[in-house]
Amino acid sequence: MDKARKIRLAKRYTSRTVVYLGATLLAIFFIFPLVWMIVTSTKTEMQYANDLGSFATFLPNFSDLSTFFGNYVSVLTQYDIWKYGLNSLAYAAAVVVGNILINALAGYVMAKFTFPGKGFISFIIMFLLIVPVETTIIPLYSIVHNLGISGTVLAVILPALVSVFNIFLFQQFFTNIPKEYIEAAQLDGASQLKIFLIVMIPLSAPIVATVATFAFIGVWNDYIWPTMVLPSPQPGEWPLYPIQAALTTIQSIDGVTTGEVMASLVVTSIPIFLVYVFAQKHIVEGIGAGGLKL
Amino acid sequence: MVGISIAIIGAFLLLLGGFIVKDIVVAKRAANKYVHYTVRGTVTSYLMLLPALLLLCVFVFLPIVYSLGYAFTDYYLLRPGDMKFVGFDNFVQIFKNFSMHGNVYNATMNTLKFVVFVVPLQIGMALGLALLVNKPIRGMGVYKVFYFAPVVISLTVTSFLWVRILGGGDTGLLNSFLVQLGMDPVSFLYDPQGSMYWIIFISAWQGCGYQMLIFLSGLKGIDQTLYEAAELDGASKGRQFLAVTLPGIRSVLTFVIVTVFIGACKIMVQPMLMTGEQSFTITLNYLMYIEGYTYRWVGYSSAIALLMTIVIGAITFVQRYLLKEED
Repeated sequence: MDKARKIRLAKRYTSRTVVYLGATLLAIFFIFPLVWMIVTSTKTEMQYANDLGSFATFLPNFSDLSTFFGNYVSVLTQYDIWKYGLNSLAYAAAVVVGNILINALAGYVMAKFTFPGKGFISFIIMFLLIVPVETTIIPLYSIVHNLGISGTVLAVILPALVSVFNIFLFQQFFTNIPKEYIEAAQLDGASQLKIFLIVMIPLSAPIVATVATFAFIGVWNDYIWPTMVLPSPQPGEWPLYPIQAALTTIQSIDGVTTGEVMASLVVTSIPIFLVYVFAQKHIVEGIGAGGLKL
Repeated sequence: MVGISIAIIGAFLLLLGGFIVKDIVVAKRAANKYVHYTVRGTVTSYLMLLPALLLLCVFVFLPIVYSLGYAFTDYYLLRPGDMKFVGFDNFVQIFKNFSMHGNVYNATMNTLKFVVFVVPLQIGMALGLALLVNKPIRGMGVYKVFYFAPVVISLTVTSFLWVRILGGGDTGLLNSFLVQLGMDPVSFLYDPQGSMYWIIFISAWQGCGYQMLIFLSGLKGIDQTLYEAAELDGASKGRQFLAVTLPGIRSVLTFVIVTVFIGACKIMVQPMLMTGEQSFTITLNYLMYIEGYTYRWVGYSSAIALLMTIVIGAITFVQRYLLKEED
């Protein structure tokens, strides 16, 4: 091996080492709070207090395995977090299914049908897409209040069903689907609704998956709107709060321990974690679709 | 209240009807008969559009119209019958409050501080991480997962987690180490000078992984031969970044800047959950929420919202214009 090559290799190794070192430090910076959250969720208040201020605070405590999942047990049984989780799942299911059906249907009509007034409606859609409607939460609240659905689950579900961006997304997608599919189905005597449900929706599976993923994450993570329109949980009744809103309730319970709070945060994050693991592909596609908007 | 809603929706339907008639007349007069409407097709189309149109009207269109209208009234949520038109009174009150350094002033300054710091910080971190992870070195896929991890937890979880990390007394994580080092515990989140910066830092920490992925998809789209050509021309790494990488991700960068900016303007959950209503962390969106929801002054709150929408809209427009100019 000649000298020049040796130096080049050595240089490359040092630069790699520096990159790995920097990357690792950054990784620690990004995940230490999450590690601490998970580790703390397995500790009793005593263990937590003992480990605080030393490196042990970032390590699990295996000294007493009988209390290892104790916080999870109390969060699930005492604080009923599973009820809030079920609520969130129910809201998410309703919104995901409704959102896809309603917006895909509209996108399909806008892409494939000719009817008078279409120009006006597509103008409205483009207008709502461009105009920044970032701050209409208070008027929306007053409308929901005046409709008389404030305090019911409808107030959470109905406004989340329609999305201008999703209509636009479906319209773009359906425009590229050849008319022959529709004509073939029409020859078989299928009704328009049937064509939509049996032919178009399966054809648009990739975009349906992307919209479903983002709608699920959106509903699951929503916090402010549900706390505005739903009553806070009352003892002895099935609560209406979704899981994010319940975190506030659990935080403010008298005598709640740090470990229990952390356990509730972990439980709340697990479904989204699973979504990111299993629907990764659709998320990356969705990010691409977001970029198309411009 | 109900009457106005019906009137607005009625006007909308009338407008739609007008356009339908216009389209039919134009189609009938057209010589080539290219557009052919059928009654059946039209009815089917509108029936299929009905759910989306109805929801769009009630939950998207009406709130926009109302936020315009309410801003000029003294609407108090629990007394809808007493609503009066008050002209520009709400706006006068907002500017008075601002000039007297009231909560409107605090909220404006805090929001401004947040936006000015978080937008470059978060985008810079995201771009740096994307460039790092994009290096053709083994193991970068694993690091990407680590950097993305905070995105998975919601803003609510982020806020409650960091309250425990930065919490006052010696029970917070950071303070427990300070105490070990012989220092006094600091109440990070209730420090009028520093609190907003912690919120900025936490928001960037939580959010930048997402923009990292967007940048990464942009970087993957750059033609690698451009780098080889630049290398042959003797361009340094910095020069390559400016001449190849940045132009290559320009549309992605525009998208990220606009979305992060709009998101930053709306900041509310973090101060709400981490400090509650405090003069040093209140933001415009949070103030709007407090006035409209907690105190139920929908009119005044809508005026704040209207001003915010105008400012956000104008800046977004300028951003898009400036960044797209060269295309």
